[in-house]
Amino acid sequence: MPLRNIPIRRKLMTVSLLTSGAVLLLTCAAFIAYEVITLHKSMVQGYTTRAQIIAANSTAALAFQNEADATDVLAALKTDPHMMAACVYDGTGEIFAKFPANASAGVFPAKPGQSGYRQGHLEIFSPIVQNGRALGTVYIQSDLSALTDRYYAYAWLALGIIVCSIFVAYLISRALQKQISQPIIALAETAKAISKHRDFSVRATKIGDDELGLLTDAFNEMLAEIYKLNLTLELRVHQRTAQLEAANKELEAFSYSVSHDLRAPLRHIDGFVDMLRKDSEQNLSETGRRYLGIISEASKSMGRLIDDLLVFSRMGRSEMRRTTVKMDELVADTIQDMAHEIQGRAIEWNIGKLPEVNGDRAMLKQVWVNLISNAVKYSRNRSPAIIKISCRKNESGELEFSVQDNGAGFDMKYAGKLFGVFQRLHQTEEFEGTGIGLANVLRIIQRHGGRAWAEGKVDAGATIYFTMPASDAN
Amino acid sequence: MPVLSAPTCRWMSESLKRLSRIRFVFFILLFSGGLDLAAQTEISKEYQVKAVFLFNFAQFVEWPTNSFSDAQVPLTIGVLGDDPFGDFLDATVRGEKVGGHPLVVQRFRRVEDVKDCRILFISRSESRQMKRILADLKQQKMLTVSDVESFSESGGVIGFVTVQNKIRFKINLDAGKNANLAFSSKLLRLAEIVGSGKN
Repeated sequence: MPLRNIPIRRKLMTVSLLTSGAVLLLTCAAFIAYEVITLHKSMVQGYTTRAQIIAANSTAALAFQNEADATDVLAALKTDPHMMAACVYDGTGEIFAKFPANASAGVFPAKPGQSGYRQGHLEIFSPIVQNGRALGTVYIQSDLSALTDRYYAYAWLALGIIVCSIFVAYLISRALQKQISQPIIALAETAKAISKHRDFSVRATKIGDDELGLLTDAFNEMLAEIYKLNLTLELRVHQRTAQLEAANKELEAFSYSVSHDLRAPLRHIDGFVDMLRKDSEQNLSETGRRYLGIISEASKSMGRLIDDLLVFSRMGRSEMRRTTVKMDELVADTIQDMAHEIQGRAIEWNIGKLPEVNGDRAMLKQVWVNLISNAVKYSRNRSPAIIKISCRKNESGELEFSVQDNGAGFDMKYAGKLFGVFQRLHQTEEFEGTGIGLANVLRIIQRHGGRAWAEGKVDAGATIYFTMPASDAN
Repeated sequence: MPVLSAPTCRWMSESLKRLSRIRFVFFILLFSGGLDLAAQTEISKEYQVKAVFLFNFAQFVEWPTNSFSDAQVPLTIGVLGDDPFGDFLDATVRGEKVGGHPLVVQRFRRVEDVKDCRILFISRSESRQMKRILADLKQQKMLTVSDVESFSESGGVIGFVTVQNKIRFKINLDAGKNANLAFSSKLLRLAEIVGSGKN
């Protein structure tokens, strides 16, 4: 596992252990290297000194040709367990005395030579000089087990030091890494808890006054800020929603009562126009009769307007009664109901397969009535009029219904206005209507959790789309 | 007569080489190899060793510091009586110095003539009057050496003896002390000690 992915606790431990291990290893290596060099030197020095002592003590023995005494002097070397052999050469380079006394001559170099390490042992030659006269040479030979023993001792010592130090470093770093890792872990835990439970009231515990403490403080401050913002935001949303709801209700109530109250005088106007017509139609001039007709027509038109308004306001307030609604049946019914209107028109119906949805049957009927009658109405000047009704499942999984006609169409820059109350893109003289139909459609679809929009082009027809949530579909 | 061991001969010829008496050494060796001259050469070999020993004594014995008036005063090795060394002793010490003092050899016939010697070798020819000689020399602070039997026991300082064909020596510490001589411990280790040195 790469270092960057392991938990911070182990990362810190690893870092400190690796660092101390490397430092120790290098220190030990340097120490041992130094010791080995010094040891070699000091060994040569020590044995040279020993050889010089022997040489100094052998002068008389050589001067007076006393081998026994020279052998005695050499015998002192037996206290050194590493001493393999030693001898005294006389002035001619012949062996004069040996150590051990019974050593074979083959052990010694035939002639005095150079000091140094060779073939697993150390050889030292030291001249025997008396009053500036060379009398002979001392030769001593030591094995290197003193060196190898020391190497082993150093290796074990270094190993011991490294193991102990790493263990101590482990204990120390285990204790100290908490200083760094604990605040970070606490922060991470807090952040995790917050992102999991969305609870911004949680606070991270501050442990020290270092950078991590600063971080913890900043984190907590941000949390407090978020918490405060969240609270005020929710409060504001609640307030606004309540205000909006209240305003909406008021408006609905107002428009309902207005529509309702407007009907009574209208009924009077209509009624009295009728009575006037019955009682004194013959007394009226041609012009009077025409005025009467206009009054009657206008009051009827206003009645329709009020009816539509009432429906619209009712749509916002009435309870939805959800059932499974077969859309194809609903469309067929709607077209059936309009048989009278479309009599004599050449209309090419192109109706695709429509699914069942979950919704308020009466409301959805209202949607289809509005959309289909619009399509019929605006394609009045086409022969044949082509009306296409279809449904597909869109990218979001919603059911997307569309009603397409080849009628008058509209300019896309007014597309947003289509669904507003009393918003009309055509003159009443051209296409009659109250301007409430699409507003109603949008309202119903929104109450079902869907969306509605329109696409079109002047004189190239229009398409009205609406969606129903997929969860409601079978 | 003692026969010198082989290493001794080799050592000696080497020390002679070091003394740059190569021609002389060849001469000696030629004679020492001759069988018909065996007795003559054996004596020569023995005295060659003794001559070198005499020279070596000068290096392992210290005389009182006030006995030399200055550094140029020679250190004299005297031979009393018949000289057994021939030219060899002169050849051995020629050009050598001990403590800055050049070595010279002087020969004396009579004990009355002996003067200013540091080392005096008393020849076997004087063995009969040894007691008188030693008594006469008592006032002179010198290192007396001889190969006369029981020399050191009789009051001489160093007496040569032959042990197992090798030349060794005895040192009479009392006599040495009388002569104000200081022996190197290395020399004492090689010698057989006579007397206590505490009289």
